[in-house]
Amino acid sequence: MGESNDDIDQMFSTLLGEMDLLTQSLGVDTLPPPDPKTPRAEFNYSVGFKDLNESLNALEDQDLDALMADLIADISEAEQQTVQTQKEFSQNQNYSASLEASNFRGTASVGYGADVPAVSISQYEDELPPPPPDPMLDLPPSPPPPKPLSKEEEEAQAKADKIKLALEKLKEAKVKKLVVKVHMNDNSSKSLMVDERQLARDVLDNLFEKTHCDYNVDWCLYEIYPELQIERIFEDHENVVEVLSDWTRDTENKVLFLEKEEKYAIFKNPQNFYLDNKGAKEGKKTTEKMNAKTKESLLEESFCGTSIIVPELEGALYLKEDGKKTWKRRYFLLRASGIYYVPKGKTKTSRDLACFIQFENVNVYYGIQYKMKYKAPTDYCLVLKHPQIQKESQYIKYLCCDDATTLNQWVMGIRIAKYGKTLYDNYQRAVARAGLASRWTNLSTANTAPPGSPSTGLKTGSTQSNGQIPQAAPQASTVFQEAQRQAEAAKDKPAHLPHDPGAPRAQQLRKPGPPTPPAHRSSEPGTDPPPPPKATPPMPRATPPHFDLSPPPEDLLLPPPPPPPPPPPPEDEDEVLPPPPPPPPSEFSDAPPDFVPPPPPPPFAAPRAPPTGGVKRPPALPRRSENPGPASGEQDFMSDLMKALQKKRGQLP
Amino acid sequence: MAGMKTATGDYIDSSWELRVFVGEEDPEAESVTLRVTGESHIGGVLLKIVEEINRKQDWSDHAIWWEQKRQWLLQTHWTLDKYGILADARLFFGPQHQPVTLRLPNRRALRLRVSFSKPLFKAVADICRLLSIRHPEELSLLRAPEKKEKKKKEKEPEEEVFDLTKVVLAGGVAPVLFRGMPAHFSDSAHTEACFHMLSRPEPPPDPGLLQRLPRPSSLADKTQPHSRWLDSSRCLMQQGIKAGDTLWLRFKYYSFFDLDPKADQVRLMQLYEQARWDLLLEEIDCTEEEMMVFAALQYHINKLSQSGEAGEVASTDPGLDDLDAALNNLEVKLEGSAPTDVLDSLTTIPELKDHLRIFRPRKLTLKGYRQHWVVFKETTLSYYKSQDEAPGDPIQQLNLKGCEVVPDVNVSSQKFCIKLLVPSPEGMSEIYLRCQDEQQYAHWMAGCRLASKGRTMADSSYASEVQAILAFLSLQRSGGSGGSGNHTQGPDASAEALNPYGLVAPRFQRKFKAKQLTPRILEAHQNVAQLSLTEAQLRFIQAWQSLPDFGISYFMVRFKGSKKDEILGIANNRLIRIDLAVGDVVKTWRFSNMRQWNVNWDIRQVAIEFDEHINVAFSCVSASCRIVHEYIGGYIFLSTRERARGEEQDEDLFLQLIGGHEAF
Repeated sequence: MGESNDDIDQMFSTLLGEMDLLTQSLGVDTLPPPDPKTPRAEFNYSVGFKDLNESLNALEDQDLDALMADLIADISEAEQQTVQTQKEFSQNQNYSASLEASNFRGTASVGYGADVPAVSISQYEDELPPPPPDPMLDLPPSPPPPKPLSKEEEEAQAKADKIKLALEKLKEAKVKKLVVKVHMNDNSSKSLMVDERQLARDVLDNLFEKTHCDYNVDWCLYEIYPELQIERIFEDHENVVEVLSDWTRDTENKVLFLEKEEKYAIFKNPQNFYLDNKGAKEGKKTTEKMNAKTKESLLEESFCGTSIIVPELEGALYLKEDGKKTWKRRYFLLRASGIYYVPKGKTKTSRDLACFIQFENVNVYYGIQYKMKYKAPTDYCLVLKHPQIQKESQYIKYLCCDDATTLNQWVMGIRIAKYGKTLYDNYQRAVARAGLASRWTNLSTANTAPPGSPSTGLKTGSTQSNGQIPQAAPQASTVFQEAQRQAEAAKDKPAHLPHDPGAPRAQQLRKPGPPTPPAHRSSEPGTDPPPPPKATPPMPRATPPHFDLSPPPEDLLLPPPPPPPPPPPPEDEDEVLPPPPPPPPSEFSDAPPDFVPPPPPPPFAAPRAPPTGGVKRPPALPRRSENPGPASGEQDFMSDLMKALQKKRGQLP
Repeated sequence: MAGMKTATGDYIDSSWELRVFVGEEDPEAESVTLRVTGESHIGGVLLKIVEEINRKQDWSDHAIWWEQKRQWLLQTHWTLDKYGILADARLFFGPQHQPVTLRLPNRRALRLRVSFSKPLFKAVADICRLLSIRHPEELSLLRAPEKKEKKKKEKEPEEEVFDLTKVVLAGGVAPVLFRGMPAHFSDSAHTEACFHMLSRPEPPPDPGLLQRLPRPSSLADKTQPHSRWLDSSRCLMQQGIKAGDTLWLRFKYYSFFDLDPKADQVRLMQLYEQARWDLLLEEIDCTEEEMMVFAALQYHINKLSQSGEAGEVASTDPGLDDLDAALNNLEVKLEGSAPTDVLDSLTTIPELKDHLRIFRPRKLTLKGYRQHWVVFKETTLSYYKSQDEAPGDPIQQLNLKGCEVVPDVNVSSQKFCIKLLVPSPEGMSEIYLRCQDEQQYAHWMAGCRLASKGRTMADSSYASEVQAILAFLSLQRSGGSGGSGNHTQGPDASAEALNPYGLVAPRFQRKFKAKQLTPRILEAHQNVAQLSLTEAQLRFIQAWQSLPDFGISYFMVRFKGSKKDEILGIANNRLIRIDLAVGDVVKTWRFSNMRQWNVNWDIRQVAIEFDEHINVAFSCVSASCRIVHEYIGGYIFLSTRERARGEEQDEDLFLQLIGGHEAF
């Protein structure tokens, strides 16, 4: 067992090294998340795919390979261990090597370029379970750091664990993660990692904890398309990654975190949607002041039956004619099956209606300042489009209402027709959450605090705060250097070779994007001595050595990882982001893929970096491109990791 | 006791002779004459009658009906005096339960014995128990419409009438399931067939019949059926129903409580049937798009039921259901994640490769279809100039995930096109694939459809999807050739016999040709093709409930102070005043704001008071005001069910609400 374990450990160490580098380059807390446990977790990035979908597609094949290799390795390891022959050992090595190789190929981190503060998502996939989540999930089953533990005794156990682990990896494998920069009301922003499975609700919960806002049901994720001048509330049940995946790489779209009373207006005052439309106007008066009980019964009636009731909406709206700047007034009706209009000379009976649009493939957005943009009769516009459409197109439909009330009624009505009872369920969850919230705040703060302090203890400079570039930067660079040195000196494994091929590819991919990248790169090479041309390759190589640094694992582990993120959750990043605007824009726009996610660091680097260490700074840029993912993610998983480790530690001794 | 007489034969007590007819309400009927006194109990009288008749028979169901008072003498301990019966009373000794023919929501006829002595509310509950329909309070009986004498009587084919008159339910015992049906249905082949009739969808009606059946042409017409509802608080006998009469059983209150596919097999099916007929006979209007969805669901449901398994397996074995669901889930999961892909790569990744003609509509291009080598793998479609270039870069590659797939098919002209609308950041790109024949089309089409949902051809549903498309094509073939269905084979010949006209309301028959209709139904069908029978039924019912006009019962009324007739619509939560001529809603009142309502039986006026002193009064024109009254009371009763969930319905409350306060 010892041998193969070593092998695993090595791989793991490589991984860790990578992680460390990433963190450091970001200027986040440096201490490596030295968790021996997550043997094979690695971050993969793919840079510069033409668009997201493409990159995803590309990833899949490679993912498969890697996954397969991984799986086989696991199984074979287990078997081999029982036999305990040298041969197998060597075999394992091969496996691991191939593993690494595949990982590199597959890696992808895409940043969305954004002019400045604008959006930003960086994406990376981990084929193997990302270290952070892994430890958590595996906590009990995962083979405790093989080395430290006295092994042989529980060989069988280990075997079982491995199989389990392999299975779990299968599950975890290919969980896509994005680092999303979320903008706040006050112009600050936060980056957080969102994995493929998370719904808007989860992200909101996450943000609640980070911002310490009240847990009002009105808080929402809000999507803005500056180019189309449209915006929309994320529904709580929507899969965030899925939505963001529709954005193009160079998008200016942003995600905001703010309060919108429109979000659940219908549940707070159902009478405004269900009662005031039909019949006489006197109705309005009476319905305005509806007591809570009648509201409740109205909601129950509308949402709790065998089928939900869509508010009866009808009235004249302006429709922007295809390709023209004219708006035509038509009589529209909302039905559960879609929006209809009354054709000329016809009545509004069901049989005469013509279908305008059905909701299956479209989302509804608010159109902003369309009076200016499209000469709309009013600024109360709504837009219907397929979520994947990002540019002006004849397939986007524009409607204009007379007033804000009508607009809100229509948007709400369409959402009800589209999502049905889900919306009500969302609301109820939000309410429940709001109720729970106050209790949890205390707890959560307590939790976050501890990790922070230990980290500081370890590395003072870096730990202080992410925001503090000067400190972090130097550290990162030094670490990096060390890593490189070690890498060169230490092992030249086959694994490294694959790296290089990977790098070129990444560059190729990038090309399609902005032409500017070259400029950046030039700076990059300089910074990274070992791999002259490309910044990307160095990272991987550096990792193995890095591992060595981290080894003191067990002891160090606990304190270091979480430090940066947890302690100053709200402020650090927020502050960072805003400043960059002026300088970074040019850079970012150029190399969108990489940079976007890590926004905070780059800006600094550019403007302020010079003083700290001009030479080294630049290299950081390339890394960031890759880092973005992990870095921002780190906050989350670092603390997770931390917890996991602590737990584990408790068990081990 | 009564009838003491002297030796001379003179009666010395105060007894008198009471004549009771036995059997039907018929002057010619056999009669017995008894000697009774005013103190005689009804029970004693009954005994005497049986003795007089002196026939061995089960008399337990018999009771005395007092014709003049239109009342059953059911209180056996009451005396004749207490009932006020004198010698001139015309009494009939007959069975309380008599056979009637029920016309079910699915339009099939069923003979069964119904209580003529219990209030209708209870009688309906009994019927529903027999038919295993839960929540009988939602149903009621209507008189059959008077048949207009038509000369073409023969045209109506003799229809099969199921007979359940022999079936007796043990009282008070919850029906036991046996072989997937309530035990009392499993006695004989006939009753079993009857249960299948109740629980399986009827085939689409003959389009010609649809054309002939009366359809409401105006709001006023829609008020007609509602004048025929029977009174829930009185018994059938009191309402002039005779043994052997035909009555309609229908869902009366459109407030369906706790629909549960597992427990409500028959209820769901009958509800579906009622909804279907509502739509087909244009009792409720819908848009064209909605009609296509309804048609697709009908087609789907019909197909499933004909292919057999679906209905029974799914409904009878919940365990299997769960298993299926679990398997499905698993499948989905596997599909969505890498593992299957891994497995796939180990075996084979299903893909389609072929020469297809492709057309990309562009502005200012006159180019038509061009032959390309097309490869369809996973969810991605790539095309190349030729097969030789396939290893290289494709001309274009499209990921079909999330795209719109529209069939563009004309079987008779052998046109098999697939129109794809593929979303991209710039908008939708349109592309047409033209296939050579049905087989090729079916395979590519199925692949496109799965891909649009993010699934690959490795999906287990691929094969069935291909079959479904082929089946639909054959349907189109027959539809196109006038519905004669003289065409060949086809994996399921059932589909062939289908005529799209049987699935849509007649006005669409006039509007579209069959071959126009078929592709549209096919298009809608692709969204529902994966539903199970019950899911499809539920979907159908839900779509029906989502129609704006759903669940409104119309009455012609005259509001107080108004000089013209107007329409009053009653729905489960509101009253609607509608302009008779235009059909516009004038005013809506909600039950939740209602304070009280009163009926003035003398002037047939209903007065309702709402919050804030809004008072409304109207007299009923098209129907008795007690029907309107009962509708309102009924809905209010039904709205109380939430709280009393699971408990037996409170009949008294119901009867109180629908109030038998009418002055006789």
